[in-house]
Amino acid sequence: MDLLLDSLHSAFLLLLARDPELLNIVGVSLKVSAVSTLIASMAGIPCGFFIAYSSFYGKRLLLTCLNTLLALPTVVIGLLVYSFISRRGLLGSLDLLYTQKAIVIGQVILIAPLVTSLTISAVSRIDKRYRSTALTLGATQLQMAWVIIKEARYGIGAAVIASFGRVIAEVGIGMMLGGNAKGFTRTMTTAMALEYDKGEFVLAVALGLTLMTIAFALNMLFHFFQGRTRVDAL
Amino acid sequence: MLYKAKGLKQVFKERVVLNLADLEIESKKIYALTGANGAGKTTLLNLLAFLVPPTSGTLQFCGKGVVYHGQGFLKLRRRVVLVDQYPILFTGAVWKNVEFGLKVRGIAKKQREKKVKEVLELVGMQKFYSADAHKLSGGEGKRVAMARALAIAPEVLLCDEPTANVDEKNQRIILDILERINEEKGTSIIMATHYLPQSRYLAHHTLTLEHGQLSREPGDRM
Repeated sequence: MDLLLDSLHSAFLLLLARDPELLNIVGVSLKVSAVSTLIASMAGIPCGFFIAYSSFYGKRLLLTCLNTLLALPTVVIGLLVYSFISRRGLLGSLDLLYTQKAIVIGQVILIAPLVTSLTISAVSRIDKRYRSTALTLGATQLQMAWVIIKEARYGIGAAVIASFGRVIAEVGIGMMLGGNAKGFTRTMTTAMALEYDKGEFVLAVALGLTLMTIAFALNMLFHFFQGRTRVDAL
Repeated sequence: MLYKAKGLKQVFKERVVLNLADLEIESKKIYALTGANGAGKTTLLNLLAFLVPPTSGTLQFCGKGVVYHGQGFLKLRRRVVLVDQYPILFTGAVWKNVEFGLKVRGIAKKQREKKVKEVLELVGMQKFYSADAHKLSGGEGKRVAMARALAIAPEVLLCDEPTANVDEKNQRIILDILERINEEKGTSIIMATHYLPQSRYLAHHTLTLEHGQLSREPGDRM
């Protein structure tokens, strides 16, 4: 118990002192997670809309595959991407291994199915009559799509936030593809794993507190998007 | 002739919901479309609004066959508007809803504002200009949906049960608007209705559907 309390105390001091190493780690984490969420959203939201609003052969199979990808372990993604970007891999010449770009690639693969799947679910919940109303009022297919996305914005926003939460808390991809290089690819989770290995809990606890604060802020945002900010709805 | 259909058939999940051998609808008239629930009224309105293509058969609009693709189709679709039985209002203010059709047509902001005010006044909803569209009552929502449709000055206004689930005062207002725009602007109106007295009073012609087929030739206004 003393160990935890001492670590917590020291961690608070570290946070208050704005320790440069701590800030750098948090900065790297936020940067790679934001970039991968942005890329995954740019791909996943239109894909989700298209899948939800079109009927084609194999749609059911595609949905099953998407749902399966949601359970893909981060180490499997790490291994897969590693085989492509390692020196002997197909993309080895690009020198991507142990860079922030490598982490982004892995994280995009991790959350793109999540954004797509949650977008499908959000868009499918929108009454079909929004589509016909927009069309009968003279909207083009693109304008109609924009109407639906606007109506489903809370669900889509929640999908983006959930995806960001997923990548900022993952450790496997960051460790395998980023390499945990200090000042470059060290993220909050990989740093916590390293500090634990070293038996140094102070920085790990400080990072844990920061991660929990971000998670809490994300959940607040999530509730806001779902219109549950009122106390009586909680 | 405004619409001319031959062998128009609509099939949903192997069930024939509409099967019209011949259908002719004149322009600048009010048509009442009557029939029991499931008779095919809404399906026919969706076909006439060009929202869905028929399973088989041909549909002509103003003497030209309808082609359901290409840039010409958008132009054609923009000449007709359908007001749903339970109209969907987009999230946001009333004025945003009413200006939607104008905005997608690229009309300038000032003109849009002017038109929105004009049509809201026409349906007696000017006080609700900035109101949240999702907080309106059923009758108010229908009037806003009507204003939204009228803002784009369609050649044909299709209404699915325009007075269903609406109080008597709002029914009167909606019917008066329909009569007025037909007389003043020559808008062709086709409305599905359950109320026979309404169709007799307002419509120049009545089409009755029974199990997806026309059961009676167009009758005159009484």
